[in-house]
Amino acid sequence: MQNAEIKTKENMEEIHPLENLLRMDRIPHIWCPGCGIGLAVSAFAAAMEKANVDLSKVAIVSGIGCTGRVAGYVKLDSFHTTHGRPIAFATGIKLGNPDMKVVVFSGDGDLISIGGNHFIHAARRNVDMLVICVNNFIYAMTGGQVAPTTPLGAYATTSPFGCVETPFNIPYIADSSGAVYVARWTALHIRRLTNSMAEALNKRGFKCIEVIAPCAMYYSRINKLGDGLDMMRFYHDNSEVRNGEDTHNLDLAFQTKITVGKFVDRERPTYTDLYKKWLSELKDKNREG
Amino acid sequence: MKADSKNVKTGVYCVDGDVASGYGALAAGCRFIAGYPITPSTEAAEAFAQIAPSAGALFIQMEDELASIAAVVGASWAGVKTMTITSGPGYSLMMETIGFGAMVEAPFVLLNIQRAGPSTGVPTKTGQADMMQCRWGSAGDYEIIAISPDSPQEMFDYTIKAFNLSEIYRCPVMIMSDECVGHMTEKVVVPAANEIDLEPRRFYQGPADGYIPFKPDKDLVPKMAKAGDGMRLYVTSQLHDENGYPVNGSNYKRAFTRRLVDKIRLNKHRIIELREEETDDAEVVVISYGITSRVSARGIEKAREKGIKVGSLRLVTVFPFPDERIAALAEKVKAFVVPEINYGQIAYDVERCSAGKANVVVIPHGGSGVHQPKDILDAIEYAAGEDEKIKGIIEQKTLLERKVFQEGYVVRE
Amino acid sequence: MNPLISAFEMGIQRSEIPPSKVCVVSDIPFEPDVAKGLGVDFFHTIRGRTVAFGTGMKLANPSLKVVPFVGDLMTLGGNHIVHAGRRNMELTVLCVNNFVYRKIALNYAPDVSSAFSPYSLFEEPFNVPHLANSCGALYTARWTALHVEEIADSVAEALNKKGFSVIEVLLPGPNFYTDITDIEAELLQFYYRNSEVKDGEKPKNVGILPDRKIVVGKFTDKERPTFIDVYNTQLPKQLGDKFTPYGA
Repeated sequence: MQNAEIKTKENMEEIHPLENLLRMDRIPHIWCPGCGIGLAVSAFAAAMEKANVDLSKVAIVSGIGCTGRVAGYVKLDSFHTTHGRPIAFATGIKLGNPDMKVVVFSGDGDLISIGGNHFIHAARRNVDMLVICVNNFIYAMTGGQVAPTTPLGAYATTSPFGCVETPFNIPYIADSSGAVYVARWTALHIRRLTNSMAEALNKRGFKCIEVIAPCAMYYSRINKLGDGLDMMRFYHDNSEVRNGEDTHNLDLAFQTKITVGKFVDRERPTYTDLYKKWLSELKDKNREG
Repeated sequence: MKADSKNVKTGVYCVDGDVASGYGALAAGCRFIAGYPITPSTEAAEAFAQIAPSAGALFIQMEDELASIAAVVGASWAGVKTMTITSGPGYSLMMETIGFGAMVEAPFVLLNIQRAGPSTGVPTKTGQADMMQCRWGSAGDYEIIAISPDSPQEMFDYTIKAFNLSEIYRCPVMIMSDECVGHMTEKVVVPAANEIDLEPRRFYQGPADGYIPFKPDKDLVPKMAKAGDGMRLYVTSQLHDENGYPVNGSNYKRAFTRRLVDKIRLNKHRIIELREEETDDAEVVVISYGITSRVSARGIEKAREKGIKVGSLRLVTVFPFPDERIAALAEKVKAFVVPEINYGQIAYDVERCSAGKANVVVIPHGGSGVHQPKDILDAIEYAAGEDEKIKGIIEQKTLLERKVFQEGYVVRE
Repeated sequence: MNPLISAFEMGIQRSEIPPSKVCVVSDIPFEPDVAKGLGVDFFHTIRGRTVAFGTGMKLANPSLKVVPFVGDLMTLGGNHIVHAGRRNMELTVLCVNNFVYRKIALNYAPDVSSAFSPYSLFEEPFNVPHLANSCGALYTARWTALHVEEIADSVAEALNKKGFSVIEVLLPGPNFYTDITDIEAELLQFYYRNSEVKDGEKPKNVGILPDRKIVVGKFTDKERPTFIDVYNTQLPKQLGDKFTPYGA
C-alpha cells in the first residue's frame, strides 16, 4: 500500500468508469438527441465489465446505419463493414481465430433486411457470436425510409401513405432458425439489458438480443409520437416482461403492447464443435481404412 | 406515342435532380420501381413513392439491391416499363443481374447517383468513379447505353429518353448521374403530356406458335412478348439460340452474343448524343460529362478570355463511346483536356481514340467535391502550351491535390 | 421421367388456373420440351433470385400466377423467401430439396457420392416449413417426390390460394428436373418408405433429423391479406379518390 498514490483533489482525474471501453477521442458521437442507441452502447459497455471478458479477444462488427456507427465508438477490435455483411464478416473472424469472442452490433435494416440471409444461416449453423440488433423501426441514417420492422400502417418516407407490409418478429425468426439465446428488451430496461448481454457474452452459440430503441429524428417525428422521452414513456407504460414466452406470440404492431424478456436459452453444438467432431471422425476413418 | 396525362405532373417546380428523375420516370410510363434506400439516391425513390399511387403505378422497397434488380427484370418480362434507383455500392451488388437483364434483353432503366468511393466511401458527396463499371461491370460481353445528365431539368428529360432508348434497343440503360446533380435544386419545367414523346414497347403481334423470341428485326432487336399471354415463353439466362433454348456443344452459334453487342455498336450513330461548342478551330478541346461539364464551362470561359482557342465536347451519352468523333477531332487539335471526378476512367478511352495524334491531359479528382474552374483553366493553359507530343495520359493535378500532396508520397528504397 | 414434373403438371390441371397464366421461375433449367409441354411461361433466372424475380413479375402483372422453384436450398435466396413471406406476396414456392439428405443418406446408403453437397455434412439443414411459417407463409407442406398425388393436390391448393405458399419436395440426386437415374430412384424409394404423413403437424416439430422418420404432410393453411390487398385497402384511406387501385 505504500506505493499507492494518494488521490487528492488536485491530482484526481475525472474519468467515467466505462471510458476504457469507449474511443474517447471520437466522442461526442453523431447520434441525435433522443436516440436510443447510446443507451444500448452503455449497456453493452457495462455488460462487458460484468461478464469479465478478455477485452483483447473481443471483436465488434457493425454494418451501415445509425447503429452501424457503434463499432467506431467502442474500443475493441472494431470493424465497420459494408451494408448487411457484419454477420458474414463476423463468421469469418470467428472461423479465422476461434479464440475470439465476436459481437455483431447493428440495426434492424442492416441485419434483417439486406443481411437477412446471413442472419438465418448463421443462426442455423449456430456460429458462436452475439448479435445485438437495435430496432428503431426505420432506416434512420438514410433519412427515414421504411424498414422490415416498420409496423403496418406506420409512416416512412418510402411509404408515405402508411406501410403496407407486416413487420418481422425478430425473436421468432432467430428462434426458428436455431439461435440458442433469444431476448428482447427496450432501451428503457437498461439493467435487464445489461444482464442479458453479460449472460449472452459468456454463452456459446448464436445469440440474438433485440433492443427496441426510440428514433426521435425520424420514426417518432414522422409518426407524431413525440420525442425520445415520449417514446421511453410509451415503453414504460406498454411493455411487459414475460420471460420464457413462446416467440410466436411476440409480434409487434403500431403503438401496441411490447412483450420483452428472455425467451430462449438452450444448448446446441456450435459450428466449430460440429466441424471438429466431423474432422476427427474423418481422421479416424482414414486411419482405419 | 404521347405520354398519359395522369402520369405527368405538368408544371414548373424547384426540385432536386433525384426528384426530377422520379417525376420523369412516371411521365415516361414507368409502372413499377423496386428500390432500396441508398444515399444519395433515396430522394428519387421517395418522390416516386409519393406520386405513384395516384397514377396507378407501384413502388416497392425490396430487402436489398439484389432483390430490387431481380424484381425489375422480372417486371420487365411481365410487360411493364420499370426502373431501379441506386448508388455505387448498390450498383456493384446489382451487377450479376444487370448481366442477366442484358442476356435476356429485358428493357429497364437504372439510375445511379454516383458518390465518392470506393466501398462505402463518402455517401453524401459526389463522385464519377462508376463509369467503367457501368460499361464492363457484369460478367461476359454485352453493351449498355449510359447517359450523364448535368442538371435537374436534364434528369427529367433524359430519364424519359432513357426509357425510350431501352424500349428501342432492349438493353439496360444507365443514367450515370452524380450526387451533385442529384442533390442540386433548380427549376424543372414539366411540360404537358402531349408534348412528351414516348416509345411504346415493341410487342409481337401475331399467333403464339409463330413467335420466335430472339429472332431479330432489321435493326437487330427482336420483338418482345410478355408472360401471361399464352405464348409459352422459355427464357433462360444461359446462352440461347433464336428460340430461346439453351445451346450446347452441338448447336453452338457464336452469332448470338455477337448480336447483343452489335445491336448497340451498329446503331451507335442513332444513339450517341454530344454537345459541341467551338470545336471547329479549337487548339484544345475539353471533353467532359455530368456535373464536370458545368464546372468546365466556367474554366473554358476564362481560357477564352485569355485568348486560347478552346472547344468543348460534352458527352451526353457516355456509352456507346463516340470513337469516331474523338478520332476526327484528334487530327485537328493539339490536346484534349478530360476533367473527371475519378482518377482517370473516360480519359483512357479518349487516349485510345486519339491514338497519339493529340495529347490527353486528365484532371483527376478523388471525389467528395468538384473541380474548381481554375483547375480546368490551368490544364487548358498547359495543354495549349505543350508542343511536344507526349505518350499516354498526362496528369494535371487539381490545386487541392497539389496542396495536400506537396511532398508527394515517400517511397522507401 | 421425373415424378416432380408429372406431379406439378397434374397440380396445374387440378387447380382453377389456366396454364397460360402460370409463370414458372427457376434457377435450374427445365428442358425446353418439358417447359413447353406444361403450357406455362418458363423463366430460367440466375441462382438464388427466383423469388425476387417472381415478386417483380407478380407486381407488374397481378393476374399472373407465379411459381418460383427454389433449387439452391435457401443459400443464396434465403433472404428473398423470408421477406416475400413477410409481405405475403402471392407466390407458390416449390423448394426442391436434394442435397441436404446426404447427411442422412450416408448413414443408410453409403454408396451414394457426397460430391454434390453444398452443405458440409456437419451442418444442420433448415427446417423449411418452420422457417417459412415463422416468416408469414400461409400454406406450408412437405412431400417426397414419390408422393405424386399429394404434391399435385398441394400444388393445386397453393395455386388457388391468394398468399405466400411454400411446398418443400424431397428429391435426392443431382438431377432436379430431368430424368432420374437408378441410384436416385433407389433413394427416392428410401425416402418414401421412411416418411410418415402427419397433416396439420406443428411446423417446428418437422425438422429432419437422422434418428427419426421424415415428417411429410400439409402443415399449415392460414388466411391473411396479400401485399396487393393491403396496398389497395390502406392507401385509399389517405388518398381517397386520387388513388388508382393497383392490379385492377
